[in-house]
Amino acid sequence: MPTSLLERPHVESFEMDDEKLTEPEQDHAEIEAEFDAIDSEDIRRGATRSKLPPAELRALFEEQAIPFMDQLYAAAMRMTRNPADAGDLVQETYAKAYAAFAQFQQGTNLKAWLYRILTNTFINGYRKNQRSPYQNTIDDLEDWQLGAAESLTQGRSTRSAEAEAIDHLPDSDVKEALQSIPEDFRLAVYLADVEGFAYQEIADIMKTPVGTVMSRLHRGRRLLRGLLADYARERGFAAADTASPRSTT
Amino acid sequence: MTDCGCDKAKAELEEYLHRELSDEDFRDVTEHLENCADCTGEHLVGLTMTLKMQKACQEKAPDELRTAILTQLTEV
Repeated sequence: MPTSLLERPHVESFEMDDEKLTEPEQDHAEIEAEFDAIDSEDIRRGATRSKLPPAELRALFEEQAIPFMDQLYAAAMRMTRNPADAGDLVQETYAKAYAAFAQFQQGTNLKAWLYRILTNTFINGYRKNQRSPYQNTIDDLEDWQLGAAESLTQGRSTRSAEAEAIDHLPDSDVKEALQSIPEDFRLAVYLADVEGFAYQEIADIMKTPVGTVMSRLHRGRRLLRGLLADYARERGFAAADTASPRSTT
Repeated sequence: MTDCGCDKAKAELEEYLHRELSDEDFRDVTEHLENCADCTGEHLVGLTMTLKMQKACQEKAPDELRTAILTQLTEV
């Protein structure tokens, strides 16, 4: 169920954020859940809270934050993989964002702020219910364990054929491929490629070092490329030498 | 010889695509791509993937959701 708009974040314990980030992941996740509606950087900098009366704050929120709804819904669809959960996730995200909007520092990146809330809400809520056994260690797995293509295309003629084959795939194949790569990789790829966030912004949104973002992007895109090649071959498009190991018989 | 070579270009293509390179590295890779069909092909695959994802992932929030969210705002 979406969180009530009346629910207020726990601002008073925010000073502890830095220390607590080093604690074990289980505690970390719970702590994050408490704070996820607020931009910790703004609080630490002592950003001034908005002094606007509620009606004006609401008007400002409608003007600035509501236009991101289609984009947030699209991201939520790729995260949750179904319209019902995506709707709940977006509604909860807006509830939290509105509750914390007085703390949002005007002039900073609202889109990144909203995505941070969306991503945290997803990771702390929805993902717990569908956590795969690999979730905690996905970054440590080798590519072969993930079914990645061993070698990609060689030579320029096959590469241009590969690009063309990918280009001919229907949107449904692209979405399916994206939805079947591991979640942390998928988030990084989505935020970089679809939303165009900078690596540092993705690091802030996913609360992970930039190096990890780059690794997730690289591995995620490799997996995606292998899957797209599989789909292209199934559809009879010419990208035959991009076979990934599991689909060669 | 200013060409940075295939190794450097291939290693940096993903950051090139995402506009994460320094101006100098960006220039080096751009220059290399102009003269190397192999790396250009590799870049084209990456670029195609990005453009396909951007196109495929467009969604419109359902009207009921929009209404529910806007209603929530006025209820506080």
